Amino acid sequence: MGRPPGRPHRPRGRLTEAPPDQSRSRPTDTALKRRLEARLGDQLAGPVRARHDTTEIVVGPGNLAAVMRALREDPAFRFELLADLSGVDTGTVLQVVYHLWSPLTPDWLRVIADGLPREDPRVPSITFLWKGAEWGEREAYDMFGIIFEGNRDLRRIYMPPDFKGFPLRKDFLLPDDAARSPGMGVRYMEQPVAPAETRRQPVLRTSPGTGSLVAGAGHQELVAGETAAPALSQGEPGP
Amino acid sequence: MTTEHTRIRSLDDPHIFVDTPATIYDAVPPYPPTTEREAEFYSLQDGEMLINLGPQHPSTHGVLRVVLKIDGERVVDLDPVLGYLHRGVEKICENGDWHHAISNCDPLEYIASMFSEAIPVLVAEKLLDLEVPRRADYIRVLAWELNRISSHALFIGWLALDLGGLTPILYGFIERDEIVEMLAALTGQKLLFNYLRIGGVNGDLNHEFLSRLGDWMGRAGQRIEMQQKLINENEIFVRRTRNLGTVDRETALRMCLTGPPLRATGIPYDVRRAHPYSVYPELDFEIPTRTEGDSWARYMLHIDEIKQSLHIIDQVLHQIPDGPIMAKLPRLLRVPPGRAWIAFESPRGQYGAYGISDGSDQPFRLRIHDPSYFNLQTVGLVTPGHLIADTMAIMSSLDPIMGGIDK
Repeated sequence: MGRPPGRPHRPRGRLTEAPPDQSRSRPTDTALKRRLEARLGDQLAGPVRARHDTTEIVVGPGNLAAVMRALREDPAFRFELLADLSGVDTGTVLQVVYHLWSPLTPDWLRVIADGLPREDPRVPSITFLWKGAEWGEREAYDMFGIIFEGNRDLRRIYMPPDFKGFPLRKDFLLPDDAARSPGMGVRYMEQPVAPAETRRQPVLRTSPGTGSLVAGAGHQELVAGETAAPALSQGEPGP
Repeated sequence: MTTEHTRIRSLDDPHIFVDTPATIYDAVPPYPPTTEREAEFYSLQDGEMLINLGPQHPSTHGVLRVVLKIDGERVVDLDPVLGYLHRGVEKICENGDWHHAISNCDPLEYIASMFSEAIPVLVAEKLLDLEVPRRADYIRVLAWELNRISSHALFIGWLALDLGGLTPILYGFIERDEIVEMLAALTGQKLLFNYLRIGGVNGDLNHEFLSRLGDWMGRAGQRIEMQQKLINENEIFVRRTRNLGTVDRETALRMCLTGPPLRATGIPYDVRRAHPYSVYPELDFEIPTRTEGDSWARYMLHIDEIKQSLHIIDQVLHQIPDGPIMAKLPRLLRVPPGRAWIAFESPRGQYGAYGISDGSDQPFRLRIHDPSYFNLQTVGLVTPGHLIADTMAIMSSLDPIMGGIDK
């Protein structure tokens, strides 16, 4: 049962996107793309991309507050509805992804705050624009450890307040993850990881450019970490 | 950590205090406040006290715990405490393949699970650039609208139940029972349907479903009229919901409200029209709105939406084409790498999902945006100043479902 620990969990894993396609979804709004480039061009960290019915911009965490304010309050954009706020762990860095809706365009707008380091991910809070983002940010903090500066109530929302670790990060392993099951000698639920004091390297992907997986090294570290916490180690120690 | 709140008065002798270990289930948490807001909430002014509502209180619609700060009978502030039903659906989805995600997302919105199971389906279809057969799309809309009616019927009953009226929920369950039987004939399940598939639906319309549906459609309109007579003009009901939990347009947008609570403030935002999906552009229906923004408006809006859903079902039955119900797909589905965002209108608001695929057969990330999670936090904004009993009326008019909130 289960894969040997050296074998990567997801053999085909890569996060690079296919080139823009002639998809059957509705065409994207090119006027919006031009407006975004004209108004926010110097604050974006990458080109404006469009796929399906979504236009996508990437900003650095430093420019996020200004960009979001412009998107909400500029009469040329009027993105007044915050459709979603979510954290993402790409395996190397963390992201915060916002989805916005405006009556002026048929497209959704995706704003990605990219390049947050795993050790200390910080972005400005947008609760000054959307008060309702408060719980979304609490959830992203709870699940990813992303710190939203300016959120008045940034505490855990799902997990108990004394919980250690951030469950949706890629280096948080579930015990029923087949490759790292108790049968393989790893029994891991909570990990003592605080945002400022991460000791482990990400397990799944370290270099998205090559697409190679280095599960082996991370796995060894996990096993080493496990012996430091004897209460959690129930099965045999790892190979 | 021992605080003064861990000392409770002995039942035998009121002059004796007993030290008890504080737990996180006490109204006052046994650890120092970690945020500004928490410190503000858990420090009491003169005459104020904290009481714990839930997590097993029946009118909190599941296992929601609310800590109320009260002054006499008035609510000063409140702090919802979530997580009692947290299962980590997003993490579980990452560890199964795309087909497993359908049944994992099913129990999110367990009152209307035809909607929550659409999350991985629609995301995967968008990532695959897949065109669903038109008949499958029509069947989906039919199932969605039926499920919307059954959910709204239950909402009306629950709202009245939380205000102390027992009868309407019995009538609500009559409606829901009929629809559930109908959907059971279609899908084989009564609660968690697991009916939608990536590329289509699991089974075609059958005779039993259609005969039940035709039978029910003949008297559904009449039944709704009867329900309206039951509580619409009831003076107690009206006085207890009017001007209660009022939200204005600006606040509604700032609080990220969607669904009936948003439309009750006068904003005609419905994803079915604002950003059409499936075959909704081909169907004729209106987006009912109200301008008051209170519990009463939210209640009335649900009744208007039931009428529109009936209208949609009527059109679907006339327009549904023949053809296949599943697109041709390989059994081991490797979804091409990319990112996709989808949104659709559930009875409680806008369900959204952000899927990332890395080219394997498993989702790399499946973010689920649940409308009742974002709607529920408005409770903390509109309840202060009202009576304790009104907390329930406001909360149930926002219609939270804890399965989706806690994920």
